[in-house]
Amino acid sequence: MKKMAQNIEDVVADSASAGRVVPRRLPRIANRKQTAIAGFVLMAPSLVFIGLFVMVPIVYVVYLSLYKSNLLTPHPKFVFLQNYVQLFTDVDFLGSLKNSALLSGGMLFLSLPIGCLLAALLNMRLKGTKFYRTVFFAPYVLPLVGSGLVFTLLLDKDNGLVNHVLALVGVPPINWLGSSHTALLSVMLVSLWQYSGYYMLIFLAGLQNVPQSLVEACQVDGGGRLKSFIHVTLPNLTPTIFFCAVVCIIQSFQAFDQVYVMTDGGPNNASSTLTYYIFHKGFQMYDIGSSAAASVILLILLSILSLIQIRLGRRWVVEES
Amino acid sequence: MKKFAKLERTSAHVVLIIAAILALIPVYWMVRSALATNTDIFDPHFHPWLVDFDWRNFAQAWSSQPFPIFFLNSIASSFLIVLCQLVTSTLAAYSLAFVEYRGKSVVFFCILLAMMVPMQATFIPIYSMLSSVHLINTYGALVLPFVGSAFGIFLLRQGFASIPKEMIRAARIDGASEYRILWSIVLPNAKPALITLALLNFVYHYNDLFWPLVATNTTNMRVVPVALTYFLNQDAGEGLQWNHMMDAAIFAVLPVIILFLFGQRYFVRGVAGTSIKG
Repeated sequence: MKKMAQNIEDVVADSASAGRVVPRRLPRIANRKQTAIAGFVLMAPSLVFIGLFVMVPIVYVVYLSLYKSNLLTPHPKFVFLQNYVQLFTDVDFLGSLKNSALLSGGMLFLSLPIGCLLAALLNMRLKGTKFYRTVFFAPYVLPLVGSGLVFTLLLDKDNGLVNHVLALVGVPPINWLGSSHTALLSVMLVSLWQYSGYYMLIFLAGLQNVPQSLVEACQVDGGGRLKSFIHVTLPNLTPTIFFCAVVCIIQSFQAFDQVYVMTDGGPNNASSTLTYYIFHKGFQMYDIGSSAAASVILLILLSILSLIQIRLGRRWVVEES
Repeated sequence: MKKFAKLERTSAHVVLIIAAILALIPVYWMVRSALATNTDIFDPHFHPWLVDFDWRNFAQAWSSQPFPIFFLNSIASSFLIVLCQLVTSTLAAYSLAFVEYRGKSVVFFCILLAMMVPMQATFIPIYSMLSSVHLINTYGALVLPFVGSAFGIFLLRQGFASIPKEMIRAARIDGASEYRILWSIVLPNAKPALITLALLNFVYHYNDLFWPLVATNTTNMRVVPVALTYFLNQDAGEGLQWNHMMDAAIFAVLPVIILFLFGQRYFVRGVAGTSIKG
């Protein structure tokens, strides 16, 4: 802040020392066209690369989804919507879609409340808050591949820590990664460990925007700590909660690394997610048509979500003009 | 504000300590297994601490794979991506924040949408585009798709928003070129935002498994996250070398942890700043 003030002074000093009378109106109008051109020139590098590696591929993937092909055949066959029809009769695809939905749901109902609770506790500004914040947030920056490996070991049927601890209270060993009932849950544990601290940080930022006077007013009126949290703090956190929910669903639908490392989508497709299905079909089975069709469905889902987010975002992202 | 009663503070501490222990268990287990002998890991008599440890594990794991090459590939490609993105995103964010022209809101809307497109949905077209110009399995394939970044533009635009517009206007009236304004006014005032973008991006691409897995196919082009998965496929001869796998995981995690501990406030800024502003 101090530095910025200094810079403003510098600018003012510069223009003063230049000592010339600036004809204010003329150059501004003359500049307008120039600045418009400059605006486009400055955007150009980003637009070219985003166009080439985001926009063109989207169009291309829609095109590919209408053809039966693989990378080796020279003449793909136009089949119109047949790939899509096949997808919705493919149990593997429907299973992956269901798994992605379950993963999102699980994260929504576990990770978000955990993040919110931790944020509320950190917001009490107790001793050691900084330490706790570091510990909870650190997993977010770690490579998912590494976390996936560690959890594979933790959840190992015969030698994993989790089963050892469960054995102490008499639970027989569970085949976490090898059973179709628990494989998806195991994958979710990694996401939970990795992302809860991230949501905590966002909630913490949200909590600091809740007007303290309102909370105090509620408490003066005889509301307890819990009551004021539910009736004042939470309603004020609505934008934050919506933001986290959308990010959480988007993040869950993109889950790939954990699945690839821990279960390979197995057993029997029980932990395959939508992105894993796309990868598996396209990169391992060379069934480009089905993979592209599944990509289009993923893109439609994600763009609906991000449109919701942009709409809601307008309310609280600073929009200057 | 009402002071928290002692009981409230104590129970909050209890919950936080339990959560911290749960968060740290995987880290502890990683370090413990990295140091343990394989017989110790497979010991049916369970003991959470280490009975016997062997520092040589790290050396053995390091020499079992060409890690120097993996690290060179990871760090060099992530570094190149960061460098390119800093340039393209700075220019674009400047354009969005300080230059007036028609169609700007459309451009911004497209950028917001582009931010949500995951690589997993578009990797086939990108792969075939890059392969048609023979770039697969080169640094070009690792770097080019990420030269332009919607997220980078978004983040820097937020950072630039805190620079007073009067300053820019004053400089323009003085006849400063756009280039001059960007270099001498905007960049010096946006250092935290630039560092945030650089750190978030470096870590994101250093950690990325998906694209390098698709875009490279020989050992000498592989990156660290892909190399980690190699340890899972060594089941054949002597069984899984769990301790070496955890050693490798520690190698992979160390650079990120160091960056995080030194630049934590920038990571926090990046996460909190992109969510809620104002």
